[in-house]
Amino acid sequence: MKTPAMPWVDPLSGKTVSLTGRSLYMLPTRNGFMFGLLLFVLLLAAINYENGLAYALTFWLASMAVVSMLYTHRNLLGLKISAGSCLPVFAGDTAQFVLNLKNELDVPRLGLSVLISKNEVGRIDLEAGDQGSVVLPVKTARRGYVDMPSVNLSTNFPIGLLYTWSRKIQIEHQCLVYPKPGPQRPIIGGRDHEQKRELGARGDGDDFIGVREYQFGDSPKHIDWKAAARGQGLQTKRFGGEARSIVWLDWDSLEGIDAETRLSQLCRWVLDAEEQGMIYGLRLPDSTINPATGETHRHSCLEALALFGN
Amino acid sequence: MAKPLHQPDAAALNWIIASAIVVMAPHTMEQPVWLSFAVAGLLAWRYAGLHHAWYQPGRIIRIALAILLAGAVFKEFGTLLGRDAGMAMLAGLIALKFIESRTIRDYLLVIFLLYLMVTGDFLYSQSLAHGAYMVLAVILCTATLVRLNLEKARLPQFSFRLAGSMLLKALPLLIIMYLLFPRLQGGLWGLPSDAYAGRTGLSDSMNPGSINQLSQNTEPAFRVEFDGPVPANKDLYWRALVMWDTDGREWRAGKRLPLEGAPIRKFGEAVNYTVTLEPSNKPWLVALDRPSSLPKIAFPKSGYLIQSKRLVQKRIRYEMQSQQQQRANNLIRVTRQRSLALPENTTDRVRSLAASWRQEYSSDREVAQAALRYFNQNEFVYTLQPPLLGSNPVDQFLFGSRRGFCEHYATSFATLMRAAGIPSRIVVGYQGGEYNENGDYLIVRQSDAHSWTEIWLQGEGWVRVDPTAAIAPERIELGIDAVRQLQNQGLPLGTLSPELLERAMKLGAIARAWRNSRLMWDAFNLQWYRWVSDYGWSRQEKFLNSLGVFAPTWLGMLAGLLGAVAVVTFGIAWAMQLRRPPKDPVLAAYKIFNRKLAKVGLIRKPSEGAKDFAERSAQCLPDQRQSILTIASIYNELRYGEGSKELLEKMRRLINDFKLPKGKLLKF
Repeated sequence: MKTPAMPWVDPLSGKTVSLTGRSLYMLPTRNGFMFGLLLFVLLLAAINYENGLAYALTFWLASMAVVSMLYTHRNLLGLKISAGSCLPVFAGDTAQFVLNLKNELDVPRLGLSVLISKNEVGRIDLEAGDQGSVVLPVKTARRGYVDMPSVNLSTNFPIGLLYTWSRKIQIEHQCLVYPKPGPQRPIIGGRDHEQKRELGARGDGDDFIGVREYQFGDSPKHIDWKAAARGQGLQTKRFGGEARSIVWLDWDSLEGIDAETRLSQLCRWVLDAEEQGMIYGLRLPDSTINPATGETHRHSCLEALALFGN
Repeated sequence: MAKPLHQPDAAALNWIIASAIVVMAPHTMEQPVWLSFAVAGLLAWRYAGLHHAWYQPGRIIRIALAILLAGAVFKEFGTLLGRDAGMAMLAGLIALKFIESRTIRDYLLVIFLLYLMVTGDFLYSQSLAHGAYMVLAVILCTATLVRLNLEKARLPQFSFRLAGSMLLKALPLLIIMYLLFPRLQGGLWGLPSDAYAGRTGLSDSMNPGSINQLSQNTEPAFRVEFDGPVPANKDLYWRALVMWDTDGREWRAGKRLPLEGAPIRKFGEAVNYTVTLEPSNKPWLVALDRPSSLPKIAFPKSGYLIQSKRLVQKRIRYEMQSQQQQRANNLIRVTRQRSLALPENTTDRVRSLAASWRQEYSSDREVAQAALRYFNQNEFVYTLQPPLLGSNPVDQFLFGSRRGFCEHYATSFATLMRAAGIPSRIVVGYQGGEYNENGDYLIVRQSDAHSWTEIWLQGEGWVRVDPTAAIAPERIELGIDAVRQLQNQGLPLGTLSPELLERAMKLGAIARAWRNSRLMWDAFNLQWYRWVSDYGWSRQEKFLNSLGVFAPTWLGMLAGLLGAVAVVTFGIAWAMQLRRPPKDPVLAAYKIFNRKLAKVGLIRKPSEGAKDFAERSAQCLPDQRQSILTIASIYNELRYGEGSKELLEKMRRLINDFKLPKGKLLKF
């Protein structure tokens, strides 16, 4: 029982895909063929013995198989498929795409299989009006964006005589892949003590030392909402206090190595710097990220590395 | 690749065991006892293996068991083919397949074989009750099929509801296929001889007591639908057999006599009717006295009889016409000889009784009337429980016991007539019948079996004389049930005034209701038979004619069938699309809460928000204030704020636990 590949059929694509009748196909399963053989034997018995009830049973079972076809079809028909969020991973790791399935019917949809190139990667039952998700693991190789894999949905609900499957479904969703972190090496970076009083938004001190323009990644807690209400745009309140060293992670400090290795090394340093609580900035040939610290800042830096050159 | 990855769980196997028991239970009546025990043993073995980790047989033991089964079936039936042996093999193989099943596919095969078993069972009986039972079996098997395909166990109701609704939706398709699938004339190959079993009913010979033993048997013998009004009970003489030869104790039809030829005179009204005859495993057909037409399936036989070309092994229907008639002016020699032959053991007092009438009266008719008077004016009693008679029943009956059933009167009368030189013969058949107003037809039961006499009168031909009518006119005018009823009340026969008779025959309300429901059931059964067992080629053609389709061809019927199935399938699909809007779980839970409050008269006004309603309710129910307000705030949060599954669960729990004050039923 294989889902035919059907390369000539265009996949369904979009942010959210709803399965229509035109995107579903159906064939009998091996059990279905066995059932057909049973019906044939029953029919022979009915004809030969001229037995009305044997005819009736044969036709009842045949009719039930026809009706089960409608149930099998409905089990996929109108199913809404979308993508859930996918956390960034490092190249070489497995990205965990999340496929969200939404059942808008008032009947359960049971035994839904999710297949990636004919291999079942997940099975799910959806209660009436319920939604659920299936994780699609994808092994990554390179930094950058990786597309959500295309899937087929398939089911042989309710009695396994027939199975229906969908066209290939390509949800428009990507997962960010950071460069693979390079080896542990001491950070070589320019120190910039002059700027130490002009730290990122999230200083550790309590003293209010002024405002600056909002940057992506600044904590909403520090946004000067009153100023925003006055129509002065978003400004971030800055607090000063205990000074910490600022380190610049610099593309140029890694001269003589190829680009990917440099990116890997910078990636490692971003991770280390964050872990050690440093305030760090990133200088790449085409962009600069001002020194800061925190989860969001780390992500900005890694994202810049991931998408470098794209 | 949507193949089931799951293995059947132990609970799923219980379903199969239950299905097997339900399907096979009626068959235990038909199959050898050892087989039932063997099958039950194998099912129990598997069950013990599932739930108590018993040892399960390996491959070699299973093969040995299969060989043993085939050997035992062969020893029992002398064959492995045919209906009985085939069914026995099937039952055994299902049990063996079950015990070796491991994968879902194996178990599906077991269910498929159970469906086959149900079909096999229909070869034994096609009755309405049997059909109804098997509907339950099919529902159970189909629910098991659903259950086997479920990966996660759900409530049993789910499987039943799904199977039931599929089978229900399949009914219109079933009816189309059933009516339109072209039926063959005759089977594909010859049926094995064991396809039919013996039946009770009239036998080819008659002893004193042989009809009497049927008098308790209320099984229908045949049913009759009349084209016109149903004739009076006293005219309902159903001929089946004519007996010419006797040894003084037993009467037999004997060797076939030449046919009487075509009627030379017909009188009275012609009656047209259709007979639905129960299987008798005998060739005779019943016809109202006397048949004037010949159905296709029959040939004529001497004694104004019709006989089927084949043994009546299943129910048959045939159309008939009957009319009183005379067929010959003279009795041919061989017939005269045989209808005058007196048995050797005819005693002198029997002979002299006949001789005395012969001397006294000149015409044969008067002699016969004298004999009837003799029965009527002496102490003869018509009884359903006649005493047993010895080797010379005619003599013992006439001069001794004088208590008898119809065959005693008929045989004695015929013997007396022969002794007086009047040719006579005995007719065996049925008399009367119960009219079923529910279906406008007559049911004739085995208990209506009757025998009477025909004597040859020169110029008139064979004339029916029923001596029973002389002693118990109620038997002929009202039927055997009336006789039974009167005798149960200790009332004498033949002497009651019409008013007394009517009062005695009046049924109580319960008896009437019982009789009515019995007749309704019978009418239902007749329809069942017409559309199930009798729905073959000829009935199908008639049905299509009634739809305006004439001379249907195979191809045309199949095309019509497929077209109708396609249209109806689309109809069902369309109906399945008409779904209610998806249920909002939050709203559903809140509605339950509102229903609870409504019990004490707190009903939310259309304009009232959930919060306002909660405030009002809390004022009325101060003890429940806290939970009412909490539920309302969660509801608002879920509806208009950020909801979560946990919050919904919490709301459901609160609503579930919400109790109204006990004892006092408050109304606000």
